[in-house]
Amino acid sequence: MTEPSAPDALTPWPDTVDWRPVSPKLITVELITRVVWVVVLLAGLGIGWFFAPHWTWGAGMAAVVVYGVWRSIVTVRAVHAWGYAERDQDLLVRHGLLIRRLSIVPYARMQFVDVTAGPLERAFGLATVQLHTASAASDARVPGLPPAEASRLRDRLTALGEDRAEGL
Amino acid sequence: MSTAPPQEAADEPRRRLHPLSPILHGAKSIAVVVAALSWQTLSQVGLERFALVVLVLAVGVVIFSLVGWLTTGYHVVGRELRISDGLIWRRNRAIPLERLQAVELRRPLLAQLTGLAELRLEVVGGGKTEAPLAYLTVRDAAALRERLLALAGRTPAGEAQADAGPQAAATAATTLERPLLRVANRDLVVSQLLTPQAIFLPVGIAFVVMQFVLEAQWTFIGIASTFTAMAGVLLQPVRRVLQDWDFRLARDQGGRLVVRYGLLETRSQIVPLKRVQSVGVTWPLLWRGQKWLHLRLDIAGYAGEPGRDSKRSDRLLPVGDFTTARGLVWEVLPGVDLAMLATSPPPARARWLHPFALRYFGAGLTPEVFVTRWGLVTREVSLVPYARLQSVRVMQGPLQRWLGLATVYADTAGGRSGQARDRDLAEAWALAEQLAVRARIARGPIVTAPPASPTFWQPPVRP
Repeated sequence: MTEPSAPDALTPWPDTVDWRPVSPKLITVELITRVVWVVVLLAGLGIGWFFAPHWTWGAGMAAVVVYGVWRSIVTVRAVHAWGYAERDQDLLVRHGLLIRRLSIVPYARMQFVDVTAGPLERAFGLATVQLHTASAASDARVPGLPPAEASRLRDRLTALGEDRAEGL
Repeated sequence: MSTAPPQEAADEPRRRLHPLSPILHGAKSIAVVVAALSWQTLSQVGLERFALVVLVLAVGVVIFSLVGWLTTGYHVVGRELRISDGLIWRRNRAIPLERLQAVELRRPLLAQLTGLAELRLEVVGGGKTEAPLAYLTVRDAAALRERLLALAGRTPAGEAQADAGPQAAATAATTLERPLLRVANRDLVVSQLLTPQAIFLPVGIAFVVMQFVLEAQWTFIGIASTFTAMAGVLLQPVRRVLQDWDFRLARDQGGRLVVRYGLLETRSQIVPLKRVQSVGVTWPLLWRGQKWLHLRLDIAGYAGEPGRDSKRSDRLLPVGDFTTARGLVWEVLPGVDLAMLATSPPPARARWLHPFALRYFGAGLTPEVFVTRWGLVTREVSLVPYARLQSVRVMQGPLQRWLGLATVYADTAGGRSGQARDRDLAEAWALAEQLAVRARIARGPIVTAPPASPTFWQPPVRP
């Protein structure tokens, strides 16, 4: 995928797995969310500046803008870093740039599957699929899936989960 | 949940809790109320009025509890335990027994005096203990527990017992037990004296006394607050001693683990061995002189309970030496020898992240369990059976990426994960793959269960 990791003899196996990307439309969704937050924060700080004029308010606004821009640049790469793969027995999910995470969740351990879509996600035709196990630490969430793909994944996960035992 | 179909309800009538339960529940609330009113109120309003207020409150609380008791009922329908309660907000809860993790019988002080007991069921996914049935007579509670566990286990013997009736099951359970271990109360007291709180207490007292001697100010507030502070510090060790008093372990005829302990509140917990999610071994610093250790048993269901140490029932061995622990681990996780657990350390470059503790880090794959160890001051070892693995995670932070390291987590339903910290990246991937493969093998062959007789218990595969 976007991983330019060294393809040597020690190539770790996650790079040899057939990773599927999430929809690039997720970038837009994330960016809009970020812009809304930045605007809200800027408005708050602006009101503060209006009532109690001091340069720190301005510095705060600048910091918010810089942070927002930096996060937005990172977002583009972070969305490309999301990936999932369905193997015979388990679902692999990886994400994160600064802190990289890879989760291996066996289908047999599935307790239930969530498919969620916020208003913004719906507007862009996206959904999030999350696989829950009995362990709270398990982290298998795949955002930014087209609804068709989300329901296909959900159905596949539940079908595979049903075949197997009780999950504990 | 749906209510019971009438024909099923006919063979098993809905049963009530013991008639004394509302009074016991009420007593608890009254104690709280009296404590809230405090001595100050007593001195202000006078004894008669105070007594009147308490009386009125007591009557109110008892009536309230009585209504609660009248509306609460439980019965076993097929393979479910149904509990209904609530007057205004009716609640019918069905607990599928094949999901039962452990059953605990608790007897607080008041219940001990009245010969009653509380039955607590642990199921996965509950934020807290589901459906504590408080209170039943000890005999009823033990019989019900045996019946529920027999239904949950669904062993042929268990079925026969369940059919034979609760009484038969209860008597069978008490007679056929193989005691494993009993912790000496002396060891328990000594072990709790060897905690930071108890060790630093004399130092604290000396400091306070010296201050008084030097300043010569014996104010009431000063003394009172000193005592309160001391009591607060000592509370945890004392509570531990009271809780773990007379700790006994046994195996019952179904091979399940029976744990009994407690002085003021006795607890007796039955855990099917297949419900053990992980075992943790801890060597606290101050116990090292005695070569003592502590064993912890993680069961799914307790994880959701907030980390209040006192409330959790997760002890396998409150204090003991290595030989005892070795024997116990062998009982709980057959084939796992605590003395033969080989682990390998992380690469030497990880010392940039952990200059001192690195020597005690380690991870290893034995045929049955995933072993991880860590901790400089308090050494810990965690054993996660592959068959109980929920998911595997690999995490790599920025510093770790710079050093080419990664941490592997083995998640269990018990809440605590086995973690192999700061392994070499290639090794971490291999470890994660190995864990996934071994977990798959340990789970057994894919069970394509026919709808008629679903498999509720996964047979473990032992190579």
